[in-house]
Amino acid sequence: MPLTSENFPPAGIPPHAEALREEIKAFIREKLEGVPPHIRARTWAGFDAGFSRAMAARGWIGLTVPKEYGGAGLDPFARFVLVEELLAAGAPVAAHWFGDRQSAPLLLHYGTEEQRRSILPRICNGELFFCIGMSEPNSGSDLASVRTRAERVAGGWKLNGQKIWTTYAHKSHYMIALVRTSGTSEDRQNGLSQFLVDLSLPGVTIRPIMIGTGDTDFNEVFFEDVLLPDDALVGLEGNGWKQVNAELAFERSGPERIYSSLVLLDLWARLLGDSPDAADAARLGRIVARLAPLREMSVAMTALLARGESPITEAALFKDMGTEVEQQIPSEIADAVAARPEMAADPELLRTLAYLMQLNHVFSLRGGTREILRGMIARGLGLR
Amino acid sequence: MNDDDNFLADAFRRQLAGLVTPAVIRAIESGGTGADLWRSFEESGFVDAMLPESDGGAGIGLAQAFPLLLAAGEYCVPVPFAETMIARGMLAEQGVSPPSGAAIALAPSSVVVPGGHLAGYALVNRSGAPTLVTASPTGDDLFRVRCSTGIEEGDVIATLSPDAEGLLLAAAAVASALMAGAMARVLEMSLRHAGERQQFGRSLGKFQAIQQQLAVLAEQVLSVQVAARGAFVGKTFDPVRVAAAKCRANEAAVHVCNIAHAIHGAIGTTEEFDLQLYTRRIKLWQLAFGSESYWGTRLGQARIASGFGLTSDFLRLRLAAKMA
Repeated sequence: MPLTSENFPPAGIPPHAEALREEIKAFIREKLEGVPPHIRARTWAGFDAGFSRAMAARGWIGLTVPKEYGGAGLDPFARFVLVEELLAAGAPVAAHWFGDRQSAPLLLHYGTEEQRRSILPRICNGELFFCIGMSEPNSGSDLASVRTRAERVAGGWKLNGQKIWTTYAHKSHYMIALVRTSGTSEDRQNGLSQFLVDLSLPGVTIRPIMIGTGDTDFNEVFFEDVLLPDDALVGLEGNGWKQVNAELAFERSGPERIYSSLVLLDLWARLLGDSPDAADAARLGRIVARLAPLREMSVAMTALLARGESPITEAALFKDMGTEVEQQIPSEIADAVAARPEMAADPELLRTLAYLMQLNHVFSLRGGTREILRGMIARGLGLR
Repeated sequence: MNDDDNFLADAFRRQLAGLVTPAVIRAIESGGTGADLWRSFEESGFVDAMLPESDGGAGIGLAQAFPLLLAAGEYCVPVPFAETMIARGMLAEQGVSPPSGAAIALAPSSVVVPGGHLAGYALVNRSGAPTLVTASPTGDDLFRVRCSTGIEEGDVIATLSPDAEGLLLAAAAVASALMAGAMARVLEMSLRHAGERQQFGRSLGKFQAIQQQLAVLAEQVLSVQVAARGAFVGKTFDPVRVAAAKCRANEAAVHVCNIAHAIHGAIGTTEEFDLQLYTRRIKLWQLAFGSESYWGTRLGQARIASGFGLTSDFLRLRLAAKMA
């Protein structure tokens, strides 16, 4: 069999990681007291520098970063527990999210000792926030076609080009940018490199993109003759594609691919009261039944990552299914709420629902589209 | 799974590969009794695997039984092996020895009874207690797999301790595991067919539209496998775990059968093609022992009754297969 449940060996969260859970829950209860569900529903799209710094004070940013670089030196299970609780409660984690999830592990694996020493402690203490510069106006799913270019100049690199859809670039200190250092976009995956870009440098212009809901989380970022020092290069020149792909198993295997609509689900479940009618109970139960194996898969992949494996096909499969459930939850609840037009719905439920109904269609876009992921699964099945 | 469990399941798969050929399945579907096949299962001892070692079994629990049931699903075992293995385990738990060679159907209230036409015995619910009775099939073999729509209960052989639910939970869990196994084979057959079948000058598997459908098929199969595995935890079947497994298996069944048959085209439905052996059984199990609405309702009610504020806590504390 090409892919079986053996690809997700049953794994439990070890006691040392579970031991963190109560303290995390207590912290979240305290910090989120009084924050209404429609704000919590933003979860990893919610930016709150104060919240992130309070987490840093507890030592909860860079949980898997070794202590010598300012982290907690814990394993991926500890991070799973932390992230699961933050997302389930709808904590505003966006400020440190990308640095914690992607940039810190990237620098740890591919960065120079000097980069690790200068940057990682400041990610972990909540001083530096990161954004991810991948998409460009003409490079969406076809990431290998990026045109932003860094040229070698005396003492460093000169950066020109443009990134787009960069979440919270306007509130971040650094971007990890995937750019071309040799060849042309016809050379595809060859000739790409990753750079650590200080967003305060001259020549960097950040412009917000307002989406239809009025939110301005996204940005365009322009680079005009930005001079980067030599040590802005992350990893090897020309190795960018491989490095980016190594991040993907981390980016696609976590609870953020199944919990994005959980604040809404739990608010609705609470409002159903003690004796919901059968149709509502069935809706709730069917969603829970879809989530249960997905959480198992996420824990199983955490175990694989902890062993140093890189479950790329498994992560694609998980994310495709997970984002589908995240998309279904607002749709199901919309159907349930409007099934009784004569009854007044709870105003806060409606606010939370409307927020997610306007966002849920993008859950399958961020972090690799459904179609790209299915192509990766097909490759894993030996079809391409 | 540890190495011992793998060893047992691997040995069983080897036996199935030799015994349960498509010709054997077709002979039974056409009216054969399956007596030879049954005798082989008795002789190899797998059907008694859940009995204690002192009674000639292997003393395996639910977690170790799961890979055997998965294998039975993969090989489309056409006699009530899985049901009997679980039934004998339930009987042995209470010190009851069934008549030698008994094939036992699981027959809680259900629209259909898998194996109804091939089992001389059945576990039924009588006054809130699982009861072993002699049985004969009633009604139609709706899916041409020797199932029945009911059974006529004959003599009472043994009455187990009162347990209003245990039989339904066992039956639904077994169906989920068999579905997971059958679906894995359906995926394998679909991949093979997509690789072999040529249209427009290339194999089907080279078309992106087909690749995307196969990816969805794989997702659904994996999800069911993990969900079904989650029902085989602990000493007895747990209603929340079984509800999640059967609900997920039933929901996925629709996608799995539709995609597999879409990829095979009309040929997949023909008598001489093996795919339909599997998909007819998946449809039978879909109808047996509670639908996605039934189990979804129960699971939703359990979620509410749990009192947890967070669904993530419910998943972690009530549905995680492996606790810390």
